[in-house]
Amino acid sequence: MKKMTRLLDHPILGKLDDRKAIPFTFDGKTYEALENETIAAALLANGIRTLRIHEESGTPRGFYCNIGHCMECRVTVNDQANVRACLTVVEQCMVIASGKQHPNIVKRMVEQQ
Amino acid sequence: MNSNEAIVVCRCEEVTYGQLRTTAEEYQCTARELKLRTRAGMGFCGGRTCRIPLDRIIIDVLSNVSRSDIPLKYQPPVRPVSFGTVGEKND
Amino acid sequence: MIDVIVIGAGPAGLAGAITCASSGLKVMVIDEFIKPGGRLIGQLHQELSGEWWNGIKESERLHQEALKQSVDIRSGVSVYNLEKDDDLWNVHTSIGTLTAPFVLAATGAAEYPIPLPGWTLPGVMSIGAAQVMTNVHRVQVGKKGIIIGANILAFAILNELQLAGIHVNRIVLPEKSPLSGKAGEPEEVMKSLLNAAHLAPSPLLRMGSRFMKNDWFRKTGMRFFPKSGVKVNGTPLLLRKAALEVIGTEQVEGVRVADTDANGNIIPGTETVYEADFVCIAGGLYPLAELAAVSGCPFQYIPELGGHVPHHSETMETPLEGLFVAGNITGIESGKIAMAQGTIAGYSIAKHAGKGGTAIVEQLNQSVKNVHLLRKQAAIQFYPDIESGRRKMYDLWEQLYANPARLHTEEKLG
Repeated sequence: MKKMTRLLDHPILGKLDDRKAIPFTFDGKTYEALENETIAAALLANGIRTLRIHEESGTPRGFYCNIGHCMECRVTVNDQANVRACLTVVEQCMVIASGKQHPNIVKRMVEQQ
Repeated sequence: MNSNEAIVVCRCEEVTYGQLRTTAEEYQCTARELKLRTRAGMGFCGGRTCRIPLDRIIIDVLSNVSRSDIPLKYQPPVRPVSFGTVGEKND
Repeated sequence: MIDVIVIGAGPAGLAGAITCASSGLKVMVIDEFIKPGGRLIGQLHQELSGEWWNGIKESERLHQEALKQSVDIRSGVSVYNLEKDDDLWNVHTSIGTLTAPFVLAATGAAEYPIPLPGWTLPGVMSIGAAQVMTNVHRVQVGKKGIIIGANILAFAILNELQLAGIHVNRIVLPEKSPLSGKAGEPEEVMKSLLNAAHLAPSPLLRMGSRFMKNDWFRKTGMRFFPKSGVKVNGTPLLLRKAALEVIGTEQVEGVRVADTDANGNIIPGTETVYEADFVCIAGGLYPLAELAAVSGCPFQYIPELGGHVPHHSETMETPLEGLFVAGNITGIESGKIAMAQGTIAGYSIAKHAGKGGTAIVEQLNQSVKNVHLLRKQAAIQFYPDIESGRRKMYDLWEQLYANPARLHTEEKLG
């Protein structure tokens, strides 16, 4: 998908100061974030909108509120599940994984009956 | 409109507008009962996104209920926490 | 030992913290976001004077001032419960339970969602989410966007997106339904926009009000509202088009819209698709009061203030001893008002804590007057009847709490 760009220059807010690039991985691929950037912002800057798929239905989800209320952006960070991508700053070599569909065996059995 | 029946109102539990309306009409119930019957608002975000749409459905279905009649009821935790955090003792 | 725990590092919380600390109280501020400032850090608009209101600068100023007063600010900390235990408040957070005799709940606002088919697709976001991504994180939310919902918040953020060079293609209304409420009724939307016509940021609104100066036009305006819309800084505002569905498979690809009549009813056979790679849902703001609610604070639904608000006095106290409120939790207004309310709450807490000497009463009175003054000069007002909403709350407070002796007598008489 198309890469989103960072808004390096802004007529009122000015230029972004030179921030350090930080490598991290998302679902096994390596990307770069800028220092003090949230996971949601860094992934969007790398063209990634889908942060998880719904546990049951598998429908794709991205951030919705971007301030920690809606929980739609939850990802797994260094093996810790359900971390809000919109409130968590990327750290050096962070290992991030998108939320996956759960194999809900009981539900499947009920559906098949 | 038919396509509106399929609107996902509760994003966490994927409860649709059609399901919610049908349940509210059948049981003529409170917002709390609507949540318990459909699981809307009971998912990961605890109804932080869909609480107001749910209230609006109740108000629309039950002609004698207005928004001021629906109590503002929240249960802790209002943010997701691990069991470790809740169990933690202050020292 | 902490004297005051402030929940929320937005304009109200920081101003409250600074005032408390400068009165000699030990203050800790906690906030969920990665840095202090709250929604202030997204805000950017031109005042009627032509000056820019730069929320980031204002936040930095407040942050520095708070640090100078030795306020302990903790970002990235979530509060999940608030309850009182004898004389102390327990604030349960992701870093453990904190206790203090005073709590200032300055939790701000949240956005009304407007569910529509396809709104769970990646690329659909609340308009506030786009604001934060643009002004705080400085990442482009998309190449071509559509805003669903027309209100002051939407226009303020539209201006900000445009300033950052982000292309917003169109503003349309949500489809009329019980879920969208008044936001889907063109006449209601027009009315609320005209009410705000004198406010910034509204080159469009001022233009609109020229359009609709006379009553005849006001009444018939919706029927004759141009199909191609009126332009808001170059972006067509289409009050006679409703969003039926956000389309896309993996992410947003566009919005399916249809023409509506003046009442917002869909005109069959008029459907068309606008391409887009992001969609902002603009439902407006409501007071975020969940923590005050779990604390047991009583509430009142006051639509003029944006929704349910905790009972509070004009000096920002609640009926619960030691619990104070300030900012958008008390009703939706601009960051400037929130800041001024935070100052009131700060003096109020200092007074209750027996700090500030004899000067404190006068300082408290002055800070209350200051809010009135600022409200009169406000460049942004989200809810036009805010003044009467405030009055309702303070009258209710007088009735319920200010003079318990009188209340008691009346009960006996009644």
